[in-house]
Amino acid sequence: MNDSVESGMGSRMICSDVADVLEQEGLAPLPEAARQHVAECADCQGLLADFGSIVSAAHDLPAEVEPPAHVWISLRAQLEAEGLIREAAPVAVDARTAPASLPWWHGLSGLLQGRALATAAVGLLIMAAGIAQLRRPVNSQTAPPTQAAEQAQTPDPLAASGAALTEQEHVLRSVQPAGTLASSPVDDSLQQNLQTLDAFIADCEHHLKTNPRDQLAREYLADAYQQKAELLSEMLDRGRSVN
Amino acid sequence: MSLRLIGRHMLPVLGAGLFLWPVAPALAAGPQHFEKHFPTKGRPVVVIQNIGNGRIEVKSWSNPEVVLTGTQSSSKISIDSEQAGDRIDVSSTLLDTSAQPTEMEANFQLTVPEETELQLKTQTGLILVEQVMGDMTLESVAGDVHLKEVSGYIIVTTKSGSLVCTQCAGKLNFNSISGNAQLLQPQLSNVKLFTTSGNILFDGDFVRTGLYTMQSGRGLVEVRFSTNDSFDLNAQTSTGTVDNRAGDFIKPDSHGLKHFAGKYTKSFFGTIGQGLAKVELSSYSGTIRILRRD
Repeated sequence: MNDSVESGMGSRMICSDVADVLEQEGLAPLPEAARQHVAECADCQGLLADFGSIVSAAHDLPAEVEPPAHVWISLRAQLEAEGLIREAAPVAVDARTAPASLPWWHGLSGLLQGRALATAAVGLLIMAAGIAQLRRPVNSQTAPPTQAAEQAQTPDPLAASGAALTEQEHVLRSVQPAGTLASSPVDDSLQQNLQTLDAFIADCEHHLKTNPRDQLAREYLADAYQQKAELLSEMLDRGRSVN
Repeated sequence: MSLRLIGRHMLPVLGAGLFLWPVAPALAAGPQHFEKHFPTKGRPVVVIQNIGNGRIEVKSWSNPEVVLTGTQSSSKISIDSEQAGDRIDVSSTLLDTSAQPTEMEANFQLTVPEETELQLKTQTGLILVEQVMGDMTLESVAGDVHLKEVSGYIIVTTKSGSLVCTQCAGKLNFNSISGNAQLLQPQLSNVKLFTTSGNILFDGDFVRTGLYTMQSGRGLVEVRFSTNDSFDLNAQTSTGTVDNRAGDFIKPDSHGLKHFAGKYTKSFFGTIGQGLAKVELSSYSGTIRILRRD
């Protein structure tokens, strides 16, 4: 990484500033200062190319046809009226109507609405988070307090994976018919493992709030997210095949 | 024999037969046996996809033939198979969606040539493979996986099932949420074990130039080595503990690479023997225990 350019968050950017801009605003047209830096920095050009490849690969995945939102709403109302589901679940936010202030990766969470793509999409998110983490300058551990504070305030790509998984879990619970909760040993095992993962994830997230730079804990959290994505995907598939 | 005598002996039998008559169809719908033979020419690839529960046992023989036998618990599932050259696909299919879990059980026994590739998937029930040489991908939700004297590139994925690998050789990749992994007397040159809450035990020799990574989020990672072993050791934990019970036999790492313990982790680096293999142990909150076997 080219960190030799002087000045921090001023008119000229360094690599970590560009990374922060990417985290906050995504691949949308970059600010002029960021573009100037990228034009001179091979590392950042590589980082942009990597993100471009990931987003491109995500779009190339075969998409499942998503019914219009009103179908979900009427279906849910009908199921609630018949007492087949227990409580109302949040309807997935349409990325096109999402507030502009949301992080760019929130758009990717739309991919999670396709059950078959859940695992792949979360995997891509975790991969992107990993790349972003690896691309951060080595000396960031010794960054001045003000810069560290700014970085602490920026959204964490790993947290986006967690949020996407939580959303997916809500979908899973909302489609769980109330009458079929008595399940097989396999379903019980899957539920127990989900609880195990949730407890572990909560523990890691709590630890990372006080020790955000514990790289080992971050790796365990990323692995747990990946396992949870695979588990939810399997649970959804089982629910679909049984019902 | 008089008619009266015949009546005395036969009537109870006939009566019992009449009494049991209505039960007969139910008994017929019980466990059903199946057996199929698949001649092979080269190294076969056998795929079993069991949507229900049940055991899968695989053993080898020297004949160029795959023999599949087993039982299915009801006619609400069907066992289908196909052979295309040396590829043999076996799957269970649900015929009646009202089937209860006990009615979806299928147990498989495979006898395969010694050099066979395997792809086995089941939900619960043991997967047992003995004396098979070939790559294998084994997947289970809650069933355990027992491997004995197998070799190849072995991939095992479970949710809560545990792995016991005895005298395995080649490469092993294990991933589980709450399952344990036990490697006993291994001859594995490449090992990657990951479990979120299960325990890991490695009891055996480290192959020189081998690479070993063992990670458990919350469980115990225990490595028992011999004084003849040769490996570099790197043990790290975020909030757990490193329990080094072999301190006298572990020297500081002398391979020039400087190790820096992370500010947020507890780490231990060292070398046993010449440090030819590489052993990386980690946990999030579990204990890492290193001890000498002999």
